[in-house]
Amino acid sequence: MGDRFDVVVIGAGPAGSSAAYNLAKRGFKVALIERGRKPGSKNMFGGRVYAKPLEEAFDGLDKAPIHRWVVKERLSIVNGEEYVTLEYSGSGGKSFTTYLTDLTDWMASKAVDAGATLITEVVVDRLLIRDGRVAGIVSGSDELEADVVVDAEGVNRLVLEKSGLVERLTPRHVALGVKEVIKVEKGDIEKFFGLGEDEGLAWVFMGSVSDGLPGGGFFYTNRDSLSLGLVIYLEKAVEGMKRHIYDMVEDLRIGPLFSKYVENGRVMEYSAHMIPADPRAIRPPRLVWDGLLVTGDAAGLLINMGYTYRGVDTAAYSGMLAAKAIEEAEGDYSASSLKRYEEMLMKSYVGRDLEKFKGVHDLYMNPRLFKEYPILLTGLLRRLYEFDYGGYRLSEAFSEARRGLVSLPRIILDLLEVYRKL
Amino acid sequence: MSSQAAGERKRRKIRLEDLLNNNIWDVDPRPHIRLDTSKCRDCNYKPCVLLCPTGCYTTHGDDVLFSYEGCVECGTCRVVCPEEAITWEYPRSGRGIHFRFS
Amino acid sequence: MGLDIIVGIKYVPNTTNVNIDPKTGTLVREGVPSVVNPHDLVAVELALRLRDRYGGSVTAISMAPPHAVAGLEHVLGMGVDRAILVSDRVFAGADTLATSYVLAKTIERIGRYDLIVMGQETIDSSTGHIGAQVASWLDLPYVYYAIEVEYTGDGFIVTRELEDRIEKYRLSKPALISAKMYSLEPRQVTLRDKLRAVLERPIETWSNKDLGLDPNCVGLRGSPTIVSKVEFTPKVPRKNIIFEGDLREAVRKLVQALVEEGVI
Ligand SMILES: Cc1cc2nc3c(=O)[nH]c(=O)nc-3n(C[C@H](O)[C@H](O)[C@H](O)COP(=O)(O)OP(=O)(O)OC[C@H]3O[C@@H](n4cnc5c(N)ncnc54)[C@H](O)[C@@H]3O)c2cc1C
Ligand code: SF4
Ligand code: SF4
Repeated sequence: MGDRFDVVVIGAGPAGSSAAYNLAKRGFKVALIERGRKPGSKNMFGGRVYAKPLEEAFDGLDKAPIHRWVVKERLSIVNGEEYVTLEYSGSGGKSFTTYLTDLTDWMASKAVDAGATLITEVVVDRLLIRDGRVAGIVSGSDELEADVVVDAEGVNRLVLEKSGLVERLTPRHVALGVKEVIKVEKGDIEKFFGLGEDEGLAWVFMGSVSDGLPGGGFFYTNRDSLSLGLVIYLEKAVEGMKRHIYDMVEDLRIGPLFSKYVENGRVMEYSAHMIPADPRAIRPPRLVWDGLLVTGDAAGLLINMGYTYRGVDTAAYSGMLAAKAIEEAEGDYSASSLKRYEEMLMKSYVGRDLEKFKGVHDLYMNPRLFKEYPILLTGLLRRLYEFDYGGYRLSEAFSEARRGLVSLPRIILDLLEVYRKL
Repeated sequence: MSSQAAGERKRRKIRLEDLLNNNIWDVDPRPHIRLDTSKCRDCNYKPCVLLCPTGCYTTHGDDVLFSYEGCVECGTCRVVCPEEAITWEYPRSGRGIHFRFS
Repeated sequence: MGLDIIVGIKYVPNTTNVNIDPKTGTLVREGVPSVVNPHDLVAVELALRLRDRYGGSVTAISMAPPHAVAGLEHVLGMGVDRAILVSDRVFAGADTLATSYVLAKTIERIGRYDLIVMGQETIDSSTGHIGAQVASWLDLPYVYYAIEVEYTGDGFIVTRELEDRIEKYRLSKPALISAKMYSLEPRQVTLRDKLRAVLERPIETWSNKDLGLDPNCVGLRGSPTIVSKVEFTPKVPRKNIIFEGDLREAVRKLVQALVEEGVI
């Protein structure tokens, strides 16, 4: 084809839109290719985004489709009908809730406003490789050449797989997230959770909700709707599923924690998406090749802090750094020159937090975390609070609660592990 | 209806079909996923059946039946299939699922 | 000499599985994205095949609000050569008569054409009027349910498929046909064509300034149709019956059940 671009970006998600925006702003001729009918139509996430890195990647975040600023955090450990909840209220202002569909559309429109050429409804099939370097992309029987390609295709990275640059995804690489978005009456959210008009709640929970499998749930307040969902790590799920994942999500909706909030609501959407899991497995052997940079989920840049996921901010940040590195490469798009991108990324908060939280995944693979400990904790509190005449001392309640469940040395070892990895 | 009965009705699960009815698809007449069902007979755990969030895979005796229309393109089935029985592509021309509130 | 073909398309809400709000009983239309009416994509495919075979051009036209540009980009992405969006506030609220009038006047203004192809009907109203009405405004021969078209130089041989027979018609040119739904599989959007659509933007927008039509003949004012009431067919819950036994036995039970329900 006659049209030539400086850069082709694969995927108009947070990573790709950020890369395209920051490149277009620097005067590069950019094509941003998205398979969806419009940006956002294929994107799904839990519900909350940390703002500061986004502010750095995009100007004018105040115009973004922000639903609520999170001021309240809840963490629950669930065992059947019982649960223990920890609540934190702060001044907020660090993270907001939104629909990723809306936020992504906004990001891509920023890229277009900055001068990027957005091409929707087109699937990139593979990389165009010439003389051992990436020289563009291929879709069907059409080729599009570019000096350099930014891969921002997300976790289901078929393009990288087909090009042989990464191994095929296996259950160890990913988790599955499923969510329901439930419309509620205006004013309900404020009433239910004691929130102001633009204040929000973020709530995560784990325990019996995942049937003893590694995973957990999330609940976020949007403007006039609630996002409720479940994440299951596939590694243990392949052989360990006891019932359909849809049943597990529906049980959340009608279960003790949430039914009172959602029972008058109407489901607006039911969605699912994969999430990068074991960071060591999913990180490609390298993030740059001759003529190619890999960003966002495709590069495995998701941070699982144990109680919250961060992937949107890191994706956008990596897209911005990719743009910077391309500018600094001054036309030399060899791997050694683009290596700057990987260096900047690893030195930034993204690389530092990836390193910091890299052990969380191992922690998640400890089955006691999702089975024995929730039982232990709720059992302990039940004994402490529910009595008729005489109560328990803490130590008594504890030793009774753990009887036959897990040994004391085991608990101490596991606690040490949690302490080291969180 | 007593308020208790109303409460119980509300606490009933929504059927998967009805949940899916809230979504919007522009279904491609050409399936984007193909399944070699002959490989499913020997598949021990049949993980696709319980893990496909939209119930695209169902068992019928030892056989697995597949329909792609409700697929939300999460990619899970391809990843969990131990037999590599699934040929998985993205739908073209912007077809397939169209998320609006996710 | 190639064929110059005009295709009419409608950009409609994708209502294939739109839910009814249990509380209010109305359609939940919130955030429902639009698509090119699927039956019009069959018309586009037919037109593109004729162009690919005989040479010439395909022009897509649509009378719609400005957001329909996305639908025109979609058919440009399939390979349509150019598109005209006919958009004006005064055209809003049109029934099929007022719509077909504007489309006919648009086609007249385009001037040069050999064939007009329309879809059989739309998924949002299913009247199937537009083709016949445009043909009569323009005084053109018209065949509907067309599945095949052959160009003879001075006209067309059109095959149409009815429920119980197949008919062949010889039409002089220019002519109008509507393509039978599901008769062809619309081709995919390609990178090459989508890129051209975005970079060269071969989309013109015509308003009533360009067409100069009497405001009393277009839009709501030009529409004699009155929609008095819309009723939805109630959703009948599925019965989820599984018929056991071997294939022959199961089919027999299924047929029996359908007969008992009065379905067949
Ligand atoms: C259940 C769940 C909960 C989450 N919760 C949170 C959260 O609360 N906070 C948070 O910050 N992060 C969260 N994340 C993570 C976050 O959603 C991702 O990390 C982030 O979306 C990654 O952005 P990306 O641009 O790399 O990839 P994506 O968002 O996946 O975007 C990739 C884009 O590329 C397009 N594409 C893919 N392949 C092709 C192709 N071949 N051709 C053309 N286009 C293509 C896709 O259509 C898509 O638009 C969650 C994720 C999930 C699944
Ligand atoms: S996992 Fe693969 S082989 Fe097993 S039943 Fe499913 S599709 Fe068939
Ligand atoms: S991609 Fe996801 S939704 Fe589609 S069939 Fe596979 S598991 Fe089901």
